[in-house]
Amino acid sequence: MEAAIAPAVAAFHVTKKFPGVIANEDVTFDVRVGEVHALLGENGAGKTTLSNILTGLYRPDSGWIEVSGEKADFQSPRDAIAAGIGMVHQHFRLIPTFSVAENIALGSAHDPIGGRFNLSEIEERILALSESFDLAVDPRAKVWQLSVGEQQRVEIIKVLYRDARVLIMDEPTAVLTPVESEVLASTLQAMARSGRSVVFISHKLGEVASIADRVTVLRDGRAVDTVTENSVTALASLMVGRDVETVKRSTEATTHRVAPDAPRVLEIDNLNALGDRGLTALDGVSLSVRAGEIVGVAGVAGNGQRELVEILAGLRRSSSGTVLVDGESLENGSTRHPIRLGVSYVPQDRMGTGLAPDLTIAENMALKKYRRPPVSRPPFIRQTVIDAEGRELMEKFDVRAPSETTPTRRLSGGNVQKVLLSREMSGDPKALVIASPTQGLDVGAVATVHQLLLDASASGVGILLVSEDLDEVLALSHRIAVIYEGRILDVIDRDDADVHRIGLLMGGEMEESA
Amino acid sequence: MRGFGFRLEPRSDLPKWLPWAVPVGSFLAALVVGAIVLGVTGQNPFSVYARIVDRAFLSEGAFSGTLVSATPLLFTGLCAAVAFRIGFFNIGGEGQFVMGAIFGSGIALKLGADVPGVFAVAAMVVFGAVGGGLWGLIPGILKARFRTNEIITSLMLNYIAAVIATYLIFDSNSFWRELSGSGAVFPKGKVIPTVAWWPKLDLGSVIIPFGFLLGMVIAGWLSVLQRKTRFGFEMRVVGGAPTTARYAGMKPTRLIIVVAALSGALAGIGGATDIGNVRHILDPKGLQQSGFGYAGIVVAALARLNPVAVVFVAILLGGITNAGYALRGPDFPSGLVGVLQGLILFCTLGGEVLARYRITRSTRVSDVETALESA
Amino acid sequence: MSINDNIFVVIMASAIFYGTPLVFASLGEVFSERSGVLNLGVEGMMLLGAVAAACVSTNLGGPAVVVLPLALLAAMVAAGLGAAIHAFLTITLRVNQIISGLALTIFAGAAGLSSYLAGIWGLGKAPVSHQFLRLDLFGLADAPIVGPILFHQTLLTYISWALVIAASFYLFKTRMGLHLRAVGESPQTADSVGIPVARYRYGHVIFGGTFAGIAGACFSLMIVPQWVDGMTAGQGWIALALVIFGFWRPDLMLVGAYLFGALSSLSLTLQARGIHISTALLTALPYVMTIVVLVIVSNTASRRQLGAPAALGKPYEREER
Repeated sequence: MEAAIAPAVAAFHVTKKFPGVIANEDVTFDVRVGEVHALLGENGAGKTTLSNILTGLYRPDSGWIEVSGEKADFQSPRDAIAAGIGMVHQHFRLIPTFSVAENIALGSAHDPIGGRFNLSEIEERILALSESFDLAVDPRAKVWQLSVGEQQRVEIIKVLYRDARVLIMDEPTAVLTPVESEVLASTLQAMARSGRSVVFISHKLGEVASIADRVTVLRDGRAVDTVTENSVTALASLMVGRDVETVKRSTEATTHRVAPDAPRVLEIDNLNALGDRGLTALDGVSLSVRAGEIVGVAGVAGNGQRELVEILAGLRRSSSGTVLVDGESLENGSTRHPIRLGVSYVPQDRMGTGLAPDLTIAENMALKKYRRPPVSRPPFIRQTVIDAEGRELMEKFDVRAPSETTPTRRLSGGNVQKVLLSREMSGDPKALVIASPTQGLDVGAVATVHQLLLDASASGVGILLVSEDLDEVLALSHRIAVIYEGRILDVIDRDDADVHRIGLLMGGEMEESA
Repeated sequence: MRGFGFRLEPRSDLPKWLPWAVPVGSFLAALVVGAIVLGVTGQNPFSVYARIVDRAFLSEGAFSGTLVSATPLLFTGLCAAVAFRIGFFNIGGEGQFVMGAIFGSGIALKLGADVPGVFAVAAMVVFGAVGGGLWGLIPGILKARFRTNEIITSLMLNYIAAVIATYLIFDSNSFWRELSGSGAVFPKGKVIPTVAWWPKLDLGSVIIPFGFLLGMVIAGWLSVLQRKTRFGFEMRVVGGAPTTARYAGMKPTRLIIVVAALSGALAGIGGATDIGNVRHILDPKGLQQSGFGYAGIVVAALARLNPVAVVFVAILLGGITNAGYALRGPDFPSGLVGVLQGLILFCTLGGEVLARYRITRSTRVSDVETALESA
Repeated sequence: MSINDNIFVVIMASAIFYGTPLVFASLGEVFSERSGVLNLGVEGMMLLGAVAAACVSTNLGGPAVVVLPLALLAAMVAAGLGAAIHAFLTITLRVNQIISGLALTIFAGAAGLSSYLAGIWGLGKAPVSHQFLRLDLFGLADAPIVGPILFHQTLLTYISWALVIAASFYLFKTRMGLHLRAVGESPQTADSVGIPVARYRYGHVIFGGTFAGIAGACFSLMIVPQWVDGMTAGQGWIALALVIFGFWRPDLMLVGAYLFGALSSLSLTLQARGIHISTALLTALPYVMTIVVLVIVSNTASRRQLGAPAALGKPYEREER
């Protein structure tokens, strides 16, 4: 082995904690010169925190970083850049109205301010870099005119322009088409061959297996192992690594059985939709939920879940396909129709979409029924009825707050969710669509929310549960659907749930392969 | 913010006294700063303020004069309050007021002297509302449909309205223009028939113009609308949380258009009252100098957008305006009205910040990292 | 009748003369808006500048060469202080930029501080002692056509031309200008590369305010030239419209300013010649056109190419990471 050459960058026993959560625990891994190294893990595994430490955004609570064998203490991102570490974020930091060259020139506030800066020199250097790394860009083009793939190339050049030796890329193929992903793969390999190092963060098993020289698998904040494995099965099991038996035991007693003749309350048939950037977000999604059933949608964030729930709530239009609610067709793009048909929606963005923070708890609870009696005697609304019903719901769902007239913005996360759930469940819905129900909640609140969901399904509500927390999905669902790149790869009964297989599916792999 | 050594943190709880303390405190702060300005430039603030209070409220006929000055401010204040509440920054109150005056005087002239007074007055109110409402509708539709910023559009429309008024009196022989007598040489508007002059309520020591009474009724109606109707409920949600409004099945676009028209209509009625109760002719120059639209924004801000509070604040600011007008001359500082109005607005803004945020000492950068972050 | 009495020449020459304060005012506003801060207080700042300049020019003894620059300086300081209040409220306290700007205009404007100070300083009764007169540049003031238009303007006009060129260069060809534009487009991105957003905003809002002060001085020292209450007559609002009209580019704003200047002097010029065109149409035209331009610019697709700094009007708060 070429032990003489120090790793380009390495982390030793890095630990980073935030209130209530250990993001990284005793993580040690290294990236060799000229290597493509992948950081693999689910949501919450610690990948982003680790990369933020490597790029100087965070300081580790304990442990240290070495660059080329020398201990490095980054006070800020500038130090990391100076040390040759550059990051391409998942959400690009580009200014659309600027040209490519102007964006790249914006690089650092430490470049000499005085006087003019020579744009043509910058453009030339960009062209040179673009040629040597086969990253075709036009330095004069305005960023808004570029495709996503081209924009990503600009971000890469931005990093190379600052002489980065280590390139960290966060979920780079999340926004690319398959063709663009392949192009990117060869670009990264070319970069490695030129003596640089690439760290790319991903949850996609297939691409990790094929592109990376080595893979460090993170799980629950720890580095499980660093392997040269290119078997997706092996990677999947490392990534998900659960004890199947434990999972089954914890859920046995908690969920009722679904009646075999229960009607279908939600029938999604061949749904297609575009995402915000114009790329395909949903690709022929078909799924059904029966009364009293909990169908969990498992998958890493960004695979179409958001678009799916938005369509069911009417906040987004589908481009084709149908949704039937208890047999009736759901109007495309109308937010009132789902409410009328009995579809309730608890969004992931609780304060921003689900609630009006300035209104009182009782008023928020009345948000969907303010148009009808008894709350409304048109054109008036009856505050006394709102408050009274609010009080009732607060008691029933155990919302802890001074009174029903407390402004909602003052509630804690758990109580906010209870308010949302109480509203959505109190209208006798046929179907409940809920996204990330327990994200950010403390243990007690999580248990309460789970119980509420189980109670609702026991009383006949069909629940579509979308969550990035695989444990939650496994614990609550009767059936589990795995979504990947806008398609439902498979739907599995809980009794047959094989966690390893689910992990594979989440990473995009349909079959066991060697 | 770190540079100053302190930072603003959102308050977690809102003490009950705060909604009252902010306007009162802001007003007093403005008076204090105003006193400093006066003192520093060689005036005696106490005597100046005393004379204002006297001429605004205390001396013979002062309060009646104040109510007259307060009436247009009441309407433009309601106009701004209604619009700002949903985040629609209608600063076209000025132009909507003028259009209301044009429409109001127009219908009064058209109806002539042979109609019952009640009918003429009612017609003026309606037409004034229509004129202002149309003028408010334009920026509303432009914003709702074309996402055009309503500030500049409503501002430009102020000028266009002023041009229209000027045109009607100075540049053409329009229906509004008095063509006989001195009017043939010096352009001026036709006086509306006396039947159409709005009545006043004579309570002996105080005379209340009908326009002010109308404004009070409308303010009460708006208060009920905002607090007790479905429409008012929607206004509150759309104003504070537009995404949530959509999620709940509301239609923000339609609401904005309706509120824009309503806002304009309020200012328009104000214009009609100006014709009916005060000037009785279309007076473009006089309207331009009064600046009712902008002053209405000050009223709305100090009243914290509450319609009932607007009534009282309008009286307060009407008093200052009245006194400023009555006292103007060589021995009273000119421009004081604008100074005080501007200071009130500044202090109200500052007060609003104090109401919603707390000032704490800055802590080190590393504390920024303690935010929860999904790994 | 020489060619220089031709109506077009006269109008062009007047357009430049009357358009000069608009050039200064809109330049100042474009600096502020490029940093992302909308300042509706232009009208008020202009009047502050006008009254300060008039005061110095009336009350300070000395030759014009000394008094006039000091008058300009006073105008800049007065307006700059007004801008500083707005900057503090909107950048540090993050209050609503629209209302703060309006407050500044009401406070300093026609029935406000500027009138008050004029009263204290005893202005308005007589023309100022020193004023900016038209120059005879290179002796070419009588040259055919270009003479009256280009070589017979005041020093302030020539300064304004230099400033437009300097401002264009600054915005688009210097690193600091690039940083400024980044702050106005995306303060988060600018912050993430280490650009001090608040400092840039403060600097450019106040700096822009000083230009509005010079614009006001144009009125009291050049156009009128004395103090008259509310003498800017709404030109401050037109300057705001000009920034949009010119798509936030100094060169286009210059053209727009002269267009407005031409329109405002057009009616007078025509009347003097016995030609009657409805002034209403001409006066209303710029405002209508501004609305049309604004609607076009607001269309998101075109906004990418044409326009407003993306973060204009929104307070910036560094997100907790």
